[in-house]
Order: sequence, then structure tokens, then C-alpha cells
Amino acid sequence: MSRLDDELRNAFKRQQPPADFTARVLERVPRQPEPRPSLWQRLAALVEPPKMRWVAIGVTAALLIAIGAAQYSRLAPKAVDDSGKLSQALPTPEEKKAAVNPGEIDVVITHPNAVVVPKKHTLSLKRHQLAAARVEKAPEVKSEAEAAKDKLMLALSIASSTLNDAQKAVHDDGTKP
Amino acid sequence: MDNATGARLDDRIERSALGDQLAFEQIVTQHQGMVFSMACHFLRDRSLAEELAQEVFLSLHQNLHSIKSPEHLTFWLRKVTSHRCIDQSRRQKLRPTVSLEDVAEPSASASENDLFLSEMLRRVVDTLPEKARMVVILRYQEDLEPTEIARVLDMPLNTVKSHLRRSLSMLRDKLSRTLGEVTL
Repeated sequence: MSRLDDELRNAFKRQQPPADFTARVLERVPRQPEPRPSLWQRLAALVEPPKMRWVAIGVTAALLIAIGAAQYSRLAPKAVDDSGKLSQALPTPEEKKAAVNPGEIDVVITHPNAVVVPKKHTLSLKRHQLAAARVEKAPEVKSEAEAAKDKLMLALSIASSTLNDAQKAVHDDGTKP
Repeated sequence: MDNATGARLDDRIERSALGDQLAFEQIVTQHQGMVFSMACHFLRDRSLAEELAQEVFLSLHQNLHSIKSPEHLTFWLRKVTSHRCIDQSRRQKLRPTVSLEDVAEPSASASENDLFLSEMLRRVVDTLPEKARMVVILRYQEDLEPTEIARVLDMPLNTVKSHLRRSLSMLRDKLSRTLGEVTL
């Protein structure tokens, strides 16, 4: 133990505060704000019975919102896909122009032997092909297209048989004296 | 501290935590010298030291539930006082701007006046950085070992030893130059 240590101990001896120190501390105690609860105390207070009900309500509401948001995010992309497929299925303006309209094929049968000539025969064939393609794309018009096809086939067969009859009749008239 | 004293202190802490003002008053009376002296030696201002010591005891009143034993109470008071002193000093820039070289030389020899030497030592310690100053105060006022000082100040043991070594070396140099032939 050196002299310096002794001198330092002497220099840093304890000193006493003023006589009324304790009284002044005690005077300030009631004026002190309530101690702030620690984080753990606040967490523990959350699970106390009266507050537990509100916590349960909050958790349930949060779960419902989370489930709703998850369902929405799962369905939203599907709706977009569906609209994309729908737009692909819809015909373009050019296709609409060239599309077959069964009403345009007028098959006028005024007599069993009458000649049935479909309007714009070559064009109607193309339209028929387009109509067939459209049937594949759009199920809702499939039945309508099928009916139109049957109608067209019937008309063609009638026209064929009528032409044969007419040709035969002309041939018979030419061979008569 | 014997068992009876320890038991009495335990009882006081418990009663204080339950709101017994008399028990708290006894705790303040018992520890006010330690807290006030640490603040006074560190801040070198009695009124500031008193204010800080009062705040320490008010903080203790709010944290009595966390005090586990008389030893823990003493440790808690030392720790809180140390940190508050350092914070106060940093906040108000209380450290004197004078350097060690500017400390006035004594005009009388140490042998003639021990009080003068004590004041000289306090003034030289006052020029140390905050943590080093508190290390010296805890070592020589509270007579704590370096391991205890390290716990109170939350610093590595080697840092405490280093602060002590450098502070003592500086004090020796300064006083040797001042006092000449006196061996310290």
C-alpha cells in the first residue's frame, strides 16, 4: 500500500449530505409519477381475464381479415386468367366480318323440284369453316352452329337431287320426237 | 454485515416495497452518505450532487420491487449513481476545461498541510475522463476491487485495471513534480 493510495483514500472520504436530505427525498416521493410498467409486465397484463376477451376478439378479427385477404389474392389472378381466355375466344373484327351468319344462306324452297342455289356459294363454304372453328372455340354457339350445318347439308342434298332431276328431264325432252 | 443486520435490511426492503415510508426513510439514511459522496466527488458541486442523489433515491423508490437483497441494494445504488453522474457530466459539460498542466501548483508542502494535498489530488482526478474518474472514486471512496468496479460500470476488468494504472501513474507524475522529494 503506497502513500498515494492512503492520500487518495483520505481525499475521497465519504461526505455526509445536508441534515434535511432524507426529509427532502421523502417529500418528493408522493410527487413522483407512477413507475412505468416494464415490457414483461405490460405483456402479462394483456392476458388478465378482463382484457383477455378483447385480445380474443382482436385475434379472431385479425385471423378473419388474413383469411379473407388470402382467399381474395388466390381468386383474383384466376379472374384475370378467365378474362384473358374470354378475350381470346372472342372474334376479332375481321373474323366478325367473315363469320358465317346462317341467315345469309337463303335456301328458298318454293317447290319440291325448285332449284336451290345458296348465295355466294364459295364464300359460304369458307364461312362454314369459320363457323366450325368458332364452334370449337365457343361452346355456347356450338348447338346453333350444328343446326346451321345440318340445314346447309340438307339444302345441298336437296339441291343435288333437284339438279339431277332437272338434267334428266331436259334429257328426256330432247330425246322426244 | 452479520446475519441479524442482513435480516433487518431485508425486512426494510420488503416493507419499503410494500409502501412503508418509515422503512424507506431508514434505507435512505443508511445509504445517503455513499450516494451523495460519489456524486459530490465526481461532480465537485454539492448542490448538483444533492439533486442527483435525491433522484437516485426516488428512482430506488420506484424500483424497490426489483431489489432482491441488501447487497443487491448497495450494488444497485452504486451502479445507478455512477451512470447518472457520468450522464450528468457529459450532458452539462461539467468537466473543467483546464488541462492537467493548468492545475495550480500548491504553494505549501504536503507535510505542512494534508488538506491541501487532498484538494490537490481531487483537482487532478477531476481532469480525468468520466469513466476513469469514476473508477478512481469507486476504488478509493468505496474501496472496491477492480472486479467489483467492472461490474458496477459494465466494463471489462482489463479496462478498469488500465484506467487505474494510467490514473495513478499520472497522479504520481504530477505530484512528484509538485512535491519534489516526497515519495508517493
